[in-house]
Amino acid sequence: MKIALLGNPGAGKSLIFNQLTGLGIEVNRYPGSSVCLECGNVCYKKEKIEIVDLPGIYSLDGSSEEEMLVRKFLEEAGADVIAAVLDATKLERSLYLFTQVTEFSPKVIVLVNMIDEAEHQGLIIDIDKLSSCLGVPVLLTAASEGRDIDRILPLALGSGRVATLQVPYDHHIEAALKSLEKTLGTPRYQSLLALQGTGKDRILLDAAGAVAHEIELRHISVRQIIATNRHNLSRKIAASAVRQGDRKKTYDLDSLLTRAFPGVPILIAILFFLLLSVFVIGSWLEGFIVASFTALVITPFTALALPLLADRIGFSMLIALQAGFGIAFPFIFTFYLGLSLLEDTGYMTRAAFLADRAMHRLGLHGEAIIPMVIGFGCTVPAVMSLRILKTRREQTIAAFLISMVPCSARTVVIAGIVAAFVGILWAFSIYIIVFILIIFTAVILSRITPGEQFGMIVEMSALRRPQVRLVLAKSWLRIKEFLFIAIPLLIITSIGLGLFQYFGLTDAFQQMVAPITITLLGLPAYASTALLFGIFRKELAFETLAVLAGTADLGSVMTSAQLYGFAIVSVLFIPCTSTIAVLYRQLGARITVLISIYTVFLGLLIGAIINLLMK
Amino acid sequence: MQLSLREDYLEAIQHFSEKNVYPPHYEELAVALGKSESVVRSDMEDLVSSGDIAILPKGVITLTGQGRQTGESVIKKHETLQCFLSEILGMDSSTASDEACTLEHAVSDETIDRLGRLMVKQDGQWHPGRGGNGMLESTGICRAGEEECQYPSISDCSEGENVIIQCIHGRACAKRLLDLGMVPGERASIKRKLSNGALVVQVKGCDVALSPEIASAIGVERLK
Repeated sequence: MKIALLGNPGAGKSLIFNQLTGLGIEVNRYPGSSVCLECGNVCYKKEKIEIVDLPGIYSLDGSSEEEMLVRKFLEEAGADVIAAVLDATKLERSLYLFTQVTEFSPKVIVLVNMIDEAEHQGLIIDIDKLSSCLGVPVLLTAASEGRDIDRILPLALGSGRVATLQVPYDHHIEAALKSLEKTLGTPRYQSLLALQGTGKDRILLDAAGAVAHEIELRHISVRQIIATNRHNLSRKIAASAVRQGDRKKTYDLDSLLTRAFPGVPILIAILFFLLLSVFVIGSWLEGFIVASFTALVITPFTALALPLLADRIGFSMLIALQAGFGIAFPFIFTFYLGLSLLEDTGYMTRAAFLADRAMHRLGLHGEAIIPMVIGFGCTVPAVMSLRILKTRREQTIAAFLISMVPCSARTVVIAGIVAAFVGILWAFSIYIIVFILIIFTAVILSRITPGEQFGMIVEMSALRRPQVRLVLAKSWLRIKEFLFIAIPLLIITSIGLGLFQYFGLTDAFQQMVAPITITLLGLPAYASTALLFGIFRKELAFETLAVLAGTADLGSVMTSAQLYGFAIVSVLFIPCTSTIAVLYRQLGARITVLISIYTVFLGLLIGAIINLLMK
Repeated sequence: MQLSLREDYLEAIQHFSEKNVYPPHYEELAVALGKSESVVRSDMEDLVSSGDIAILPKGVITLTGQGRQTGESVIKKHETLQCFLSEILGMDSSTASDEACTLEHAVSDETIDRLGRLMVKQDGQWHPGRGGNGMLESTGICRAGEEECQYPSISDCSEGENVIIQCIHGRACAKRLLDLGMVPGERASIKRKLSNGALVVQVKGCDVALSPEIASAIGVERLK
């Protein structure tokens, strides 16, 4: 038995999902897609029930990855019952998606969620009327309070049924649907999609395209007709089922948050505070984790005194795990906590709105602030979140910029080398240099990148009090996804490096690139190996440098200029292997190679300039 | 030549050309209008001089760009009016058609637009007109690039104003806007406007943030 939750973004699907399943969530990648499906199991009356949380969407006929995934899910009847989650405060708009779901004729139940919020706004929902309009059982829930969540499963198992609701389309559309059904035998939902140019069947698409073209020649676009018909039906249903009672007056925080003043200063303060606290908490926790890992695992392992090759490989694996956890939990997890907190309060959409102007200067739009902010935590999830940008052009520009944003691993390098041995102000100057380069890159890219700009269309999520449990669950899911991608790569590259050293290739490599390291960058020869290791994991550049220099007190073996130069090169220089892997998956080989070449070039260029200036 | 006569001719030629795929001869047009061929011939000369039509060899009458525009617009008016008279007011269809023939020459574009929207709102359906293809272009969309939109853009409105969405230009962003309920005829209010023209628009009870370039693609009518 499988139940899938479907609804608009922000309708409370994830909260219901969490309430139903607890924290035992598995994240599954849907075949052929980079969108994640969250699945969880729950036991009800001795039966195992699988619950799927589908990504939030506004429509089923679009071409975004999320929309295509949900469509495919419905076409393949991926679940026995669909629990359509509607937002009680925005019933009319939520019903629009529901009218589309019914076209796939799955068994459905309707959950009108956030009823607590609706009551607060004085909205009264007539559940019987709604149920009879839709032809399916309706349940009012308030997931944030856990109200009536326990009634979902019995209802879904007992009375889920195919909705009787059918959208009455304009007669042109109905005629087209009939003729397509007659000539090609296509079901209604498929013909509707085909009329809007979506589908795989060439014959159907051609036939539908011809009809659509005919309608559009004389009238407005088929999409608009269909959308209007659906909205009209939704409006009718909502009008009959919802009554507006007395409204409680509440203070509108948006009068502060979405104005240029004080909204923008608040935005900057929030982001600054987020990064600062990640840095402070992160460095404290990292020291603790690394030290205990060394004491509890690595020291006992080296004490085993295995044969040299086995020792090398085992040691490399452990070092990879240590670094993985040492960076993942202190920095990335802390960052995710903050980010999930911001998301759950609904603030991120306001940030996107305010950032729209600045982002336009970079050839992007407001929504791009989300990947950029995530980039401060870790580049990998930032690249994964690029799909919220609608056009290839914006994704490409943002991918370049994200690869340059100093992630927490690079923060470790800057802090460990520059702040510790050169000075805290010099460390800040690296940030400033990087930001200038990012802006410079963006300005150039926005001129030369082909493609059109899409612009921002973001629904503002309602401001609400975040729930600790949900924030934790969300951060946990994210860190799990990160570990899933990063840890195997870390282990493989670490073993590779271990063998590299074992077979004595380090010296050969240093010799080979010596002209660049010594002449161009003015660094000691062994710095090249440290930089090479930095490709695998940024913070390894710092650790390797200390190992190769033979002392943790880097200030005693390298000049301040050298340390500064080394830090800035390793910060700019080529994204790490995990980033390259996700870039390749998200944007393809060409962009990945371009980004790698560009960052290497930029790193060497700035390194050389600093070498010249500081000599 | 009288305005209504000119429009009748252009309407008939356009209608004939659409129905038969080829443009009419003098005699075919005369038959279609129930007039004598000689009258049609002399009237056609007037239309040639006013730049509405061109006469090809063998007496084939084709419309110029200007003529076709007028013809199409009259057909649209006719269909809208006939549809309104028969579907909304309940007149029988032949009386409605005759009545529409008279009214179509006097009615303004705005009236037709408003009638069209009214009918869409009635029950979410467009109504059939003559020959089953009477749906109305006036229901909202200025097709991208085709002509200047007559409506002010929502980005010209100021904070706190209420508007009715009339049209959306361009295709790229239109789909998402439609999904969010920004369909022609929908009421919206402007909750916030930043100095760069970025807007927060409230529609169907939801706040939607729009980039300036997206906002400029939405044509609206201001409500006082």
